[in-house]
Amino acid sequence: MSDPTVVSPSWLEAHCESVTVVDVRSRRDYEDLGHVPGAVNVPAAEFRDPSRVAAGKLPSADDFAALLSEAGIDPDDSIVAVCDEQGVNAARFLLTAAVYGHDGRLSLLDGGLAAWLEDGGDLTDETPDPTPTSYEAELTDDAPLVDRQAVEAAVEGDAIVVDTRTPAEYDQSHIPGAVQVGWEDLLDESGRLRPEDELEELLAAKGIRPEERIVLYCNTARRLSHTYVVLGDLGYEDVAFYEGSLTDWVRSEAAEWNPVELEARVRSYADAGGFEAMIEELGEDVTNHLKLIGLYHQKQEGYFMLRTRAPGGILTAEQASVIGEVADEFARAPEEYGGPDQNPVFGDGYLDLTTRQDVQMHWIRIRDVDEIWSRYEAVGLETMQACGNSVRNVVGCPAAGIDPNETVDVRPVVERVSERFLGDPHYANLPRKFKISVTGCHENCARAQIQDLAFTPAIRDGRDGFAVRAGGGLSDGPRVASDLELFVEPDRVEELVEAVADLYVDYGSYLDTAVNRLRFLVEELGVERFREELASYADFEFETPDEVLTTDYRDDHVGVHEQTDGRSSVGLNVPTGRMGGDEFRELARLADELGGGELRLTPNQNLLVPHLADERLESFLEASVVDRYGPDPGPFSRGIVTCTGREFCNYGIVETKNRAIRWARDLDEWSEAVGIADEREAVRVHLSGCSASCAQPQIADVGLRGEVYRDDYESGRAADVGLGGDLGNDEFIDWLVGKVPIDDVPAVVRAVTLAYETDRDEGETFAEWTRRRSDVELRNLVSEAAGTKPAAIGTEAS
Amino acid sequence: MPADDRSATPAVPTKGVGGDPRESNDDVEEAPGKIWFRDLDEAVIEADRCVQCASCVAACPSDSIGIDAEEKRPTLVRMCTGCSRCWDFCPRSGLRYERLIQLAGEERGLEEPETYAARATGGPAEAGQDGGVVTGLLAALLEAGEIDGAVVARESDEQPLRADAFLATSREDLLEAGGSIYTQTMGLGQIEDLLADADLGAEPDLALVGTPCTIQGATALGRYGHEPADPIALTVALMCTRSFEYDRLRSRIESLGVDPERIESLDVGGGVLTAVDDAGELLLETDVESFDAAGLRGCDECADFVGGGADVSVGSVGTDEGYTTVVVRTNNGRSAWNRAEDALEATEIERPEPLERLAEWNRRRAESVLPRGFDPDAEVGITYEDHRRAYDGTDREPQPLNPARVHQYEEWC
Repeated sequence: MSDPTVVSPSWLEAHCESVTVVDVRSRRDYEDLGHVPGAVNVPAAEFRDPSRVAAGKLPSADDFAALLSEAGIDPDDSIVAVCDEQGVNAARFLLTAAVYGHDGRLSLLDGGLAAWLEDGGDLTDETPDPTPTSYEAELTDDAPLVDRQAVEAAVEGDAIVVDTRTPAEYDQSHIPGAVQVGWEDLLDESGRLRPEDELEELLAAKGIRPEERIVLYCNTARRLSHTYVVLGDLGYEDVAFYEGSLTDWVRSEAAEWNPVELEARVRSYADAGGFEAMIEELGEDVTNHLKLIGLYHQKQEGYFMLRTRAPGGILTAEQASVIGEVADEFARAPEEYGGPDQNPVFGDGYLDLTTRQDVQMHWIRIRDVDEIWSRYEAVGLETMQACGNSVRNVVGCPAAGIDPNETVDVRPVVERVSERFLGDPHYANLPRKFKISVTGCHENCARAQIQDLAFTPAIRDGRDGFAVRAGGGLSDGPRVASDLELFVEPDRVEELVEAVADLYVDYGSYLDTAVNRLRFLVEELGVERFREELASYADFEFETPDEVLTTDYRDDHVGVHEQTDGRSSVGLNVPTGRMGGDEFRELARLADELGGGELRLTPNQNLLVPHLADERLESFLEASVVDRYGPDPGPFSRGIVTCTGREFCNYGIVETKNRAIRWARDLDEWSEAVGIADEREAVRVHLSGCSASCAQPQIADVGLRGEVYRDDYESGRAADVGLGGDLGNDEFIDWLVGKVPIDDVPAVVRAVTLAYETDRDEGETFAEWTRRRSDVELRNLVSEAAGTKPAAIGTEAS
Repeated sequence: MPADDRSATPAVPTKGVGGDPRESNDDVEEAPGKIWFRDLDEAVIEADRCVQCASCVAACPSDSIGIDAEEKRPTLVRMCTGCSRCWDFCPRSGLRYERLIQLAGEERGLEEPETYAARATGGPAEAGQDGGVVTGLLAALLEAGEIDGAVVARESDEQPLRADAFLATSREDLLEAGGSIYTQTMGLGQIEDLLADADLGAEPDLALVGTPCTIQGATALGRYGHEPADPIALTVALMCTRSFEYDRLRSRIESLGVDPERIESLDVGGGVLTAVDDAGELLLETDVESFDAAGLRGCDECADFVGGGADVSVGSVGTDEGYTTVVVRTNNGRSAWNRAEDALEATEIERPEPLERLAEWNRRRAESVLPRGFDPDAEVGITYEDHRRAYDGTDREPQPLNPARVHQYEEWC
């Protein structure tokens, strides 16, 4: 590859016949503002590709070749690149051409277009019409790209790491040991390169000498390109660049993302000024990091949601009792937010059971977390990595070990995976969150399709184990997890999770936050390639399953069930997952006294109390708290699931819990009145306050997602409505009608419920019915019930 | 469109043009009309139609849209929740601004707008352009306690010719910020931050001074009772046919052989753009049309030269040198105007002919450029699908999203 150099406007003037000038400004600027005569246009936006998940910001070789060929450039053309940003984008172009093996000379126009004009150069608006070439690009073997590991080595002393950003940026954060030389420091006031002796002096002062090995970085690999060209021009021979740059580094290595250190730091503020002092000393950004230790800053400044993990949903009665007590004591709103009357339905001191078998509570203060964590430690509870970009609470079969029909008791597997990643800083800072579930029964009760990585029972050569799926998820860009056709034994699960996490760290982008969940990587690589890559990360031979054992989908555990050992488990129904801390504590007491000292949380925000011997079952069922969350609820109370919503969440567009519990109660009454309460065991209505899908609306019978609507005179809260989620058939809902005013939602639910009752075939489930009816019919049904205008599009086809 | 023309309706466009990975699989069909910030990015920002009014920034309920410091364009700083508000309040996409102006006029307009030729008395006349009316008006309102501050434009310290949003809370502040700047401030999107840095007590009343598009956004937010508009007690529109894009403006000036750093003030009047240095020496005098390429292309779609959504509009067209044309359009505007009586020398006049002509020219330009119909009687909201039907196939059609704006942010739930 050829090393770029710098040329002056007068040089270009003299050589313009023999070189190809590449103008990297936007097409519009190139056309409208004029350009160097004969220059072709290759806009920077087209050769920078920050969207790719699996690579840096370099375009793919094919894309780059296509661009150059379209611009009529041959591999041995001598190129002078020009831009109007003092050379940054032009340098980026040259660097890209260099790593893709351009043979001809590569030069940067010193001072860019401004210098060209200043020295009397002309501009033209005549656009050349280049003949396409057959340009081919391939990453050269000696391309000076280095990865994170190489930078780590450089930090250890085998190279000089240079930060090409401003001193202010450098002061804020930088790679340890890096020296700062802002790319603009190399330019004079007019934007041209300083004289060579000045440059050498400036560089030498920072220890950057031609004989040293040098690694450059900035934030997004743009500015470093300029320095790269300048150093090449000065004759530095061993210059490399870190394409991932600081963003990648900070996310993967920084101490502020180390959960153990972070927890210790936060605890220290308990007696030293609490929230205000913490923000003062650690900066507002710290609230982002706190998620890693289970603390989400609520909408109400200075108060947090605390998420407690329960791997596989399993809590000892003692742990549950502590959680209940903590909620009762600390999850209390201050007077200014209503105190004991903060919530008109639930009062104060309550907690929320979640769809990932966690427990959340609100109004937690930084002053209180040290005490809370101390109480938690005494009983082995954790909030660490309950949130943030790490392995989240591992979801497991709520009936693990007690279900007469299970193949594998997943409890030890869940525990091993949880333990493996807890507190490990390397895995506490993945590109994005990483959600895992392990199912041991035949009914997919840990919801494999919506996980980043999921295990469901399978057999290979008579051995029990798991089939593996990867790349599922909901929210924005939902995807059903792909079957990897991979069998793993229970003992290998932990290793496989580690292999996936390693692959994710290497391939995943730390930059493209919006699209870097594992599912986007699986989609980009394709299932086959993903599996192949994964094989290279795992220390064992991959096998395919002989038989997968999932036969059905179970969406809750409500009711009284017989266990393998003849005792009973009682599935309670906690509509919307919210209950008083005191109630939770009371249930813990009952589980201890009458059951086996254990409680289980389920993925639809409910509770299961196992190990009730026949002679104690009766007294358990008679307890008033059990009666309140009784195992025989109405169909809507049984099916309702919601996220936290606007009450506390910064993102929630609509309030969810209070609204949904009222809906459920009214709809239960209605279903009694119209005589369908006995027909329908459960109607699953999931209400998510925004598109983040914390209530998993895409797997519900009726999925709802917070929105707003507006007409000429009013605006208000609304919901998007979708129907027919069915994990038994790998089906998510389709969003049928957008922006239904929120108060019209119950009417919509009634209408679709009735339409199904009237129209269904024998044995047909709700989801099957929605698939039999066309989307047009369903859209009309929803729109009419809501009194909204018929949907604007999609009415022609189903 | 006549009913029999329906067969000619273009096929319903699919969602997004940029191959966003979130739209690449069909496991879930999206709801009709669903909007994410990425749709705004493609239809408006990447399509080079953004007018930097910052309505989207103000409208976003989760504060997910910030302002990119380098590009001065809206950009995601947090997860987008898909609530569509940014689209609903963007005058280049979901907000049919001509309808909004009509509705606002019906609801709060004076029966007949009042037009004045005015200039400030005393200091402001020197500081502000064309008579210092805005400075004089706001200073009087501040001193009378009618407002607690005014969001105005002030020239950036670091980058001459670039306008920064500034919260003026005193006469001195206003005098410092006087004079015209021809780039956008995105002040509407910074009110919360500006207030956080000021000490104006609870529920302050502010005047918002801005281009007509900025005022459209503010007025729309206010009409629907949205929180970001709560502090805005008075809107003042600066009549405008087009705003410049900062970098292009600089490039254009450089290409005419003038060093932008030397320019002390830039002025546009009577179709002529002039630049002078700090000694008052003329650096540049040229037909403003030669600066077309430096303008925000989205401005061509705006027919609201006069700022019809504002309480008060001001501009230099139609009155003598040293005077400003002022249109007072609402009761709110009238009481502010009357309150500042002593600070201003004002004569009520007929609507000046040149103003009418320019407004008319501006409307015709917009109508000729706007790919959609210009229709003050149609619904205020424009759906994504309708936008695509009108814009696809034109040189203003959506362009693939910019990942740096749409995919890269630091905060999520």
